[in-house]
Amino acid sequence: MSEWHVDPGLLQQYEQGVLNPSRVMAVEAHMSACATCRGRVPVDITWLTGNWSVVFDSIHAPQAGPVQRLLARVGLPEHRFRLLTATPALRWSWLIATLSVGALAVIAAWLAAAGETGGASRLFLVLAPVLPVVAVSGAYGSGVDPMHEITGTTPSAGPALVLWRAVAVIGAATALAGVAGLLLPGPGWYAAAWLLPALLLCTGTLALATVWSLQAAAVALGGLWLTGVCWVLGDRSEVFIPFVFGPIAQFVYLAAAAAAVAVLIRRRRHFDLGESR
Amino acid sequence: MTTVTVRGLSKRYGSLTALEAVDLEIGVGVTGLLGPNGAGKSTLLRCLATALGPDSGSIRVHGFDPAVPAQRTEVRRRIGYLPQNPGLYPNFTTYDLLDYVAVLKEMTDTRQRRAEVRRVLDEVELTDRAKTKVRKLSGGMRQRLGLAQALLGDPDLVILDEPTVGLDPEQRMLFRALISRIGERRTVLLSTHQTEDVGALCERVVVMSGGRVVFEGNPRELAGVADGQVWLSGNPPEGSAAYWRNADGLYRVIGQRPEGAEAARPSIEDGYLMLLGRATIAEVAR
Amino acid sequence: MPPVSEQSSDADLLRAIADGQTAALRLLHHRHAGWLRARLRRRCADVDVVDAAIQDTFVAVWGDARRYEERHADAAAWLWTIAVRRMVSALRGPAHRWLSGDSGDLPDIATTPSAEELVLLGVEHGALGPALDRLSPELRHLIEATALDGLTVREAAKLLGIPEGTAKTRLMRARIRLRELLT
Ligand SMILES: [Zn+2]
Repeated sequence: MSEWHVDPGLLQQYEQGVLNPSRVMAVEAHMSACATCRGRVPVDITWLTGNWSVVFDSIHAPQAGPVQRLLARVGLPEHRFRLLTATPALRWSWLIATLSVGALAVIAAWLAAAGETGGASRLFLVLAPVLPVVAVSGAYGSGVDPMHEITGTTPSAGPALVLWRAVAVIGAATALAGVAGLLLPGPGWYAAAWLLPALLLCTGTLALATVWSLQAAAVALGGLWLTGVCWVLGDRSEVFIPFVFGPIAQFVYLAAAAAAVAVLIRRRRHFDLGESR
Repeated sequence: MTTVTVRGLSKRYGSLTALEAVDLEIGVGVTGLLGPNGAGKSTLLRCLATALGPDSGSIRVHGFDPAVPAQRTEVRRRIGYLPQNPGLYPNFTTYDLLDYVAVLKEMTDTRQRRAEVRRVLDEVELTDRAKTKVRKLSGGMRQRLGLAQALLGDPDLVILDEPTVGLDPEQRMLFRALISRIGERRTVLLSTHQTEDVGALCERVVVMSGGRVVFEGNPRELAGVADGQVWLSGNPPEGSAAYWRNADGLYRVIGQRPEGAEAARPSIEDGYLMLLGRATIAEVAR
Repeated sequence: MPPVSEQSSDADLLRAIADGQTAALRLLHHRHAGWLRARLRRRCADVDVVDAAIQDTFVAVWGDARRYEERHADAAAWLWTIAVRRMVSALRGPAHRWLSGDSGDLPDIATTPSAEELVLLGVEHGALGPALDRLSPELRHLIEATALDGLTVREAAKLLGIPEGTAKTRLMRARIRLRELLT
């Protein structure tokens, strides 16, 4: 390198923009080859830190994926999305479990439909309402969330977080079961007949979870549904569909779900860790 | 200034008494909660961290009562808590994990939250591991990450349950330095069963045994409990409950003076053992 | 990979960056952001555009530091080329992004230090200096953008806000004029 270096006076003139063009070019050409002179350019440390923090964040912060962008468009803020993505039941393992149960039911229904007509989709109708309950059981709590003790002692903990996550997983599971229902052989209304029982089981599970853990409540209500329905299926097979999914039954499900919601609202505080149940 | 006030706190699990009528006041600085396993340290910390509701008694954190739901949220806004088994998600990166906890701590503004995540990463010296997955972190780093999440939001009260357990000596040193720095202007309450931790970094010690507080004071006072009860003897003592041979080949005896033994300066450990012995005797007498 | 420090060379820092060390990127940023800013600001009055170009540069370096390692070029010149191209591509919005290729695509070393730039090192003492001063500003800016900044004619046109065709003719005129002034 040449012996010549940019002296402080020249550097100051360069920064103020008062040098004539050839000298500017000389300074720049020299600086691109001389580390010493580059280092002499004064830097505002506040600016430097600020500029660096933007670089740091762009490298490390989670990037918005297609799902987040879609949800952002319908009004879901970024921070809420972060809360939901850490929901255990929104992990792939849970979604795949839900998906495979639904798929199994549909496949079984199709296989049965080859030989028998009408009653083929019963298996689906029996299983579909349980899917969202399985998902809800993985939404919150010490059994499914290893970080539960940290999550549960933050100011966001409590009923709001439980319900946000429950709604998110119920939504996902219902969508999966709904798609499965559309693929079902038999009368078209079968694809929707399971929705009210599913609603009852979900709200019931949440209401019961104000007494027991979410997982215990899910097992209790899911088990109760399966036992009851299987009993009807075995004992009074000929009236199964009208008895379990007929208009009267649907009305009862709706009324019971409303009651469960009322209980849930009254007892919502009990979702909190610091509360003795 | 008092940060935490505990009055008559009790907690039972079935027939097991975890806490019995605990009274305590804790202020700014590092307070160590010392006691054997099962002494009720974790239960007390979990009650203070609002992870557990006590059966009876009262807690006040900065005047807020965690038993009242609305005030419990206020308490949570002011605490940072590192549980004994934090269960940090192994598939999250260091940065994502902190970002997530920061959201839980109500930092909804993205820019502000990221600045806070950067700050705590820097404080526990994990900036260079921001993109490393939790499962790839060493034990010491994972523990520092646990500490970092507790520090998010700059809480006044930092509760650490057995933070130094399982760390090798070098990591333990680093961790102690971190904690004492944090304790300069905050209230730090940590549980441990290591007397060295207490001697190295605590301004105050609370000793628990069988769900009760059996001592409250500074480390020097804890050592003072064994004043005039610690001896160095050339021969193995007869009928003494606690003694061991030290590096000089002498027997260190706690309790009655053996024949021809010299008095020794008590350590924190001596005081602690003395207290535990007394507590055990009291337990049996009851 | 040994730990990096203030004393590490640019090449060592870039190797550590390729290895995923954030500390190395911070050191590189702190070492180069200052002069890059001073130099970019002489070409663009909008400070936000300048700051964003610097940020973009280091984000790009983080993602693609390996490319540098392959070429063994001067790191400062390489950083400058990335930065000035980022800035040019930001000048008139994302529609012109293609100018510098994909956002993750770093410039080839071949386009960085030009022979003319080395000649310019002699500007201070040679005859080139007075000649450049006598060149009209619009011609001189083109020489500056192409020879000193390492931009293509198309990029130079964008930086100066003129059509590409105009830039080409002006550059030709500038070269002829310089030759006249130097002889
Ligand atoms: Zn120089």
